[in-house]
Amino acid sequence: MYKNGEVDPSVRALEARQDEIMRKLYELKAAVEGLAKTVTTPDADMDLTVRGSLSSQSSSSFQGVAELDTLLGKDLGALRDIVINANPAQPPLTLLVLHKMLCQRYRVLSTVHVHSSVSSVPPQLLSCLGPRHPDSYARHLFQLGFTLIWKEVPKLQMKFSVQNMCPVEGEASVARFLFKLLAPYPSDAATATLVDSWVDTAFHQLAEGGAKERAAVMRTLNLTLGRGPWLAGRDVSLADVACYCCLLLAGSASPAPANVQRWLESCENLGHFGPAKVLRQ
Amino acid sequence: MIKEGAQGAAAVAEEDPQAQSKKAQKKQQKEAEKAAKKAEKQAKLAGDQKTEEEDDFAKDRYGVAAMVQSQEKMDRSLVLVKDLSPARADELIWLRARVHTSRAKGKQCFLVLRQQQFNVQALVAVGDRASKQMVKFAANISKESIVDVEASVRKVDQKIESCSQQDVELHIERIFVISQAEARLPLQLEDAVRPEGEGDEEGRATVNQDTRLDNRVIDLRTTTSQAIFRLQSGVCQLFRDTLTKKGFVEIQTPKIISAASEGGANVFTVSYFKTSAYLAQSPQLYKQMCICADFDKVFCVGPVFRAEDSNTHRHLTEFVGLDIEMAFNYHYHEVIDSITDTMVQIFKGLRDNFQTEIQTVNKQFPSEPFKFLEPTLRLEYKEGLAMLREAGVEMGDEEDLSTPNEKLLGRLVKEKYDTDFYVLDKYPLAVRPFYTMPDPNNPKNSNSYDMFMRGEEILSGAQRIHDAQLLTERATYHQIDLEKIKAYIDSFRFGAPPHGGGGIGLERVCMLYLGLHNVRQTSMFPRDPKRLTP
Repeated sequence: MYKNGEVDPSVRALEARQDEIMRKLYELKAAVEGLAKTVTTPDADMDLTVRGSLSSQSSSSFQGVAELDTLLGKDLGALRDIVINANPAQPPLTLLVLHKMLCQRYRVLSTVHVHSSVSSVPPQLLSCLGPRHPDSYARHLFQLGFTLIWKEVPKLQMKFSVQNMCPVEGEASVARFLFKLLAPYPSDAATATLVDSWVDTAFHQLAEGGAKERAAVMRTLNLTLGRGPWLAGRDVSLADVACYCCLLLAGSASPAPANVQRWLESCENLGHFGPAKVLRQ
Repeated sequence: MIKEGAQGAAAVAEEDPQAQSKKAQKKQQKEAEKAAKKAEKQAKLAGDQKTEEEDDFAKDRYGVAAMVQSQEKMDRSLVLVKDLSPARADELIWLRARVHTSRAKGKQCFLVLRQQQFNVQALVAVGDRASKQMVKFAANISKESIVDVEASVRKVDQKIESCSQQDVELHIERIFVISQAEARLPLQLEDAVRPEGEGDEEGRATVNQDTRLDNRVIDLRTTTSQAIFRLQSGVCQLFRDTLTKKGFVEIQTPKIISAASEGGANVFTVSYFKTSAYLAQSPQLYKQMCICADFDKVFCVGPVFRAEDSNTHRHLTEFVGLDIEMAFNYHYHEVIDSITDTMVQIFKGLRDNFQTEIQTVNKQFPSEPFKFLEPTLRLEYKEGLAMLREAGVEMGDEEDLSTPNEKLLGRLVKEKYDTDFYVLDKYPLAVRPFYTMPDPNNPKNSNSYDMFMRGEEILSGAQRIHDAQLLTERATYHQIDLEKIKAYIDSFRFGAPPHGGGGIGLERVCMLYLGLHNVRQTSMFPRDPKRLTP
C-alpha cells in the first residue's frame, strides 16, 4: 500500500471515498439506533437519541445546527461550549431548569467541575446536571456544551465566546441568554418587556426581598395568574421559570394563594423543574 | 615573622653601607624605620592580646571547636530553629545553625542564625555571661559558618520582621564554631533571594543564573531554593502515594538501552564494551513490556535523557521523568482520567500542605496561584483549533501546535475556563509517534493527548498499539527499521491488553506550578547542552 512512505494519490482518493461511506454508515447506524430507542421506550425523547444530520429532516420540534448557527454565529466546526461559573453557596436554580430544557432541544454535553478556589462541594451539586451522557467521551458529537464550574465568584458569571463577548454577569442575564436558545423572545415589545420585568421582580424582590416585599409580589402574581395560565402571554416563558425558581428559593411561610397554587402545579407538570426541586430538599 | 624580616633587612643595610648610593641608603633607612614601627605596633598588639586573654573570664565559653571526628557522643539535644516559639521562653537550649549575618554594635553583637528556611535573631552582649572578647569573636565569625550555640530563649516586645521566628530572640551564653566558612563567598545569599527588578531600583546586586548554578551549593541554601526543592520532593511523594493508592506498582527500568525508542536523532550514545549503547529517552518500551507481563498498572520515577541541542528555558538534557502506563478496559479515557486525577491530587496536596513553600517562592518570583478544575477539563484538538482560529490564527487541520500557539491556546483556555491545567485530546495521527493508536472514527486522528500547565506541555501520552500486526504496519509507514524494534514488537505477539500512558517531567511540573520561568531553577544540578558541572 505504501511506497517509500509516499501515498499514491489514487489510494488516497479511495481512502477518502471509503471514509465518506463509513461516515454515512455511522450516521445511519446512529439514526436507526435512535429510532429503535423511541420505539422500544415510548416516552423516550427523540431529540436525545437522534443525531444532528438526521434530526433536521425527521423532527419538527428539533431545531438543530442551522438554528444554533443563526443564534450563536458561524460554526467553527467544534463544540460551542457555554461556561457558567457559579458559587456553590448560591446554586443557580433557574439555570439548572433551563439546562434541562436545553437538553430536550439540543444534544448538550453537560459537565460539572469544581474550581480550585473552592475546597469542597456537596455531592448533590456535583450531580446537579444529571447523570453523565453515555457519549460524553466524544465531545464532537454534541451541539452545545454546558459547563458548570463551582467557583468562588461574587456573582454568577457566564463565558461563551471569549473573543467577541465580555463575560455575562448575574443569574438573570444568563437565564435570558439561555432561554433565547430555546424560544425566540416574544416579538411584540410589550410582552418582551413584561417578561423582562417579571424576571427582575423574581430575582430582586422574591429571592432577595423581605417578607413584606414577597407578600406584595405574591398578590400581584395571584392577580396576574387569575387572568391567564402563565405570567406573560399564552405560553410558558422565562417569567414563569424565574418566578417558580425564586419562589422555591425564598420558601413560603404561608400557603400560596389559589391561582399561584394552580400555576405552581402546572409548572411542575411540565417536568422541567426536577433538578431545582432536588437541590432545595 | 615581620619583625624578624625587618631586623634582617636592617642588618643587611648596616653590613654594607658603602655599596649603595645615598638615595638608596636613605630609602632603605626609611623602610627600616617603617618596619621597625610596624614591628613595635605588632608587638604591642600581641602584648595587649596577651593581657586581654589573661583577664578574659569567658574564654571557655567561645572558640573554634575541635573538628567533629566523632570523638564523643554527647548527650545534648539540639533544638530546631523552627521550633523556637514563645512557648520555650526562658529555657536554656542548644542549637546548631549557620551564621546568616552578624552585626556588631559596641558592646553587643547581633547574629541572625539560619537553619534551612528558618532563622532567628541572636544576641551576644557584654555582661556576666560574655566578655568583650567573646563579643568580638562572635562578630568576627565569617558568614555561613556553622556554630553550636547555647542560649536562653527570650520573648521580644516588638516582632522581628526580618526573621521567620518573629516572637523570640536568643541570648547567647556559649558559642562554638563547628565549621568555619571562608571569609569570601562567591555570592551573597541576600542578593540571591532578591526579587527580580527590585535590585535594579535600589542599585543593589542581583545574581545571574549562571553564577547561581556555578555555585549551586550556596544557591541551594537560599530560602527560595529550599522551598522549591521541598515542594519538588512533595510532588514526587504525592505522585507515588496517589498512584500506589490506585493500585499501581512502581517499577525500575534500565537506562542503558540497545536501541533508541523515539527516533535516533536525539539520543546519547555511550560506549558499551565492544559496542555502543544509548541512554534511555523514556522508559516507554519497558513500561509497555511490564503491561504485557501482566503488571496492569505501573509507574516509574527516574532519569530520562534527551540529546536535543536546544538551549531554551524548558529543555534539559537529563531530567526526572514521572512515567505512567496502565492497561484499561474499553476506552483510553480511563487512562486520561487516572492521570488527570493523579495530577489534581498532586495540585491539591501542594495547595493544602505546601502553602509556606509556595509563599516563600512567591516572595522572590511572584506569580498567580495555580488554578485547576476537578475533574480536569478535556478539550478535543478540533476545539482547540477552533479557539485559535477564532483568535485569528491560521492553522491546518493536521498541523502540530507550535510553541507560541500552545501558549496562546493556554491563554484562551484560561480566559474561558480559568484553569491552568487541561487536556487536549485527539491529536492528528500524523504528528504522533508510530506506536500511537489511530482513532477508529477518523483515521486522521489518534487516541492521543497532551496535558498542559500554564500553557506549556507537561505530558504527552496516548493509547499504544497493542496489536503486533498494526504496530508493524505503522512502523513501516514511519520507515522504521523493523529489525531494531523487533524485541519491542515481539512483546505484543503473545497476548497484550489494551493500554495507554504518558510521562511527565518533574522539573517542568514544579516550574509551571510555581510559575517560574526557567526549568534550571527547579533542577537541583541541571544538565543542558552547555552545562555538565557541578
